[in-house]
Amino acid sequence: MERNDADGHWVDRTLRRLPTTPVPQVLEARILKDFDRLSELRNTGLRGWLSRATAAVWPGAPVWRPAMAFGAALAIGLALGVLMPLQDEASASEQSASIMLDTPPTFEIGENS
Amino acid sequence: MFDPDTDLVKRAGAGDRAAAQALMARHLPKMMSLARRMLGSQAEAEDAVQDAFLKLWTHAARWNPGKAKFETWLYRVTMNKCYDRLRKRPAANLEEAADVPDPAPSADRALETADLSAEIEEALASLPERQRAAVVLCHHQERGNIEAAEILGISVEALESLLARGRRALRAKLAHLRDE
Repeated sequence: MERNDADGHWVDRTLRRLPTTPVPQVLEARILKDFDRLSELRNTGLRGWLSRATAAVWPGAPVWRPAMAFGAALAIGLALGVLMPLQDEASASEQSASIMLDTPPTFEIGENS
Repeated sequence: MFDPDTDLVKRAGAGDRAAAQALMARHLPKMMSLARRMLGSQAEAEDAVQDAFLKLWTHAARWNPGKAKFETWLYRVTMNKCYDRLRKRPAANLEEAADVPDPAPSADRALETADLSAEIEEALASLPERQRAAVVLCHHQERGNIEAAEILGISVEALESLLARGRRALRAKLAHLRDE
C-alpha cells in the first residue's frame, strides 16, 4: 500500500504503541465447542442421513452433485416414459386398421336402391 | 486466484476438527485484534469473534472458493459482528469500554504505557465507526487499500476518503503526541 504522507506514517507509529490483544484459551475452547456442536448436529437427523448417503454414493462430493445426477436420470427416465407409449399406441392403431381391412364389408340391403 | 485457506475450509466443512483448529490458529489473533480495536472491550471482542467463527462453521461446507478470498470474507463477517454490537449499545461509555492493557516490565513504565494506550484507544474509539474501521484495517492491521475496501464493502475511493478523515481526526485528538 502506498502511504507516503506524513499523517499515514504517524498513524502507523501511533497505533503500533497499542498493546497486543490477548487471545484467551477459554475463547479457543468456546469456538471449538461450537464447531463440535455443529458437527454433531450435521451427523444426526435427515441432514446427517443425507450427507452419509452422499458420502456413500459419491465420496467427497457436495450433496447437490448426486442430487443433480439423480434429478437428471429421473428427467431422462420420465421423458422416455412419456415418449415410448406413443409408439405402442401407434402400432396398436395399425393393428386395428389391418383387422378392419380383413373383415368382409357388410351392406345393408336396399341401401342404394 | 490461489487461496491458502480453501483446503482447510473444505476440510472443516466436512467436520475435520484439526482443520478447524488450524483455521483458528491462523486467523484468531488478527480477528481478536480487529474486534478489540473496533469495540474497545476485550469481552465484547471475544463474543464478536466467537459469533464470526460460528458463522464460519455454519458456512464452511458450502464455501465457494471462486467468489471471494476466504480471509476477506472472514474479516468482513467479523467487522459486521462488530457493527451489530456497536449498534446495540445504548450510549457508548468509552471509559467503561476501555480495558486494562497488557502488563509491562516496570510499574512506572507500565503506568506510562497504560496511560498512552488508553489515550490512543480513546481517540480511536471516538472516531465514527466507518472511519475507525478504515484506520484500524489499514494502519493497525496493515492491509492494502483494495483488501480493506473489500472487507468494508466499499469502493477504494470511499475508503481513501474515510482514511483521510480518520487520520485528520486522530491527529487533532492526539496532537500532543506528534511532538514526541
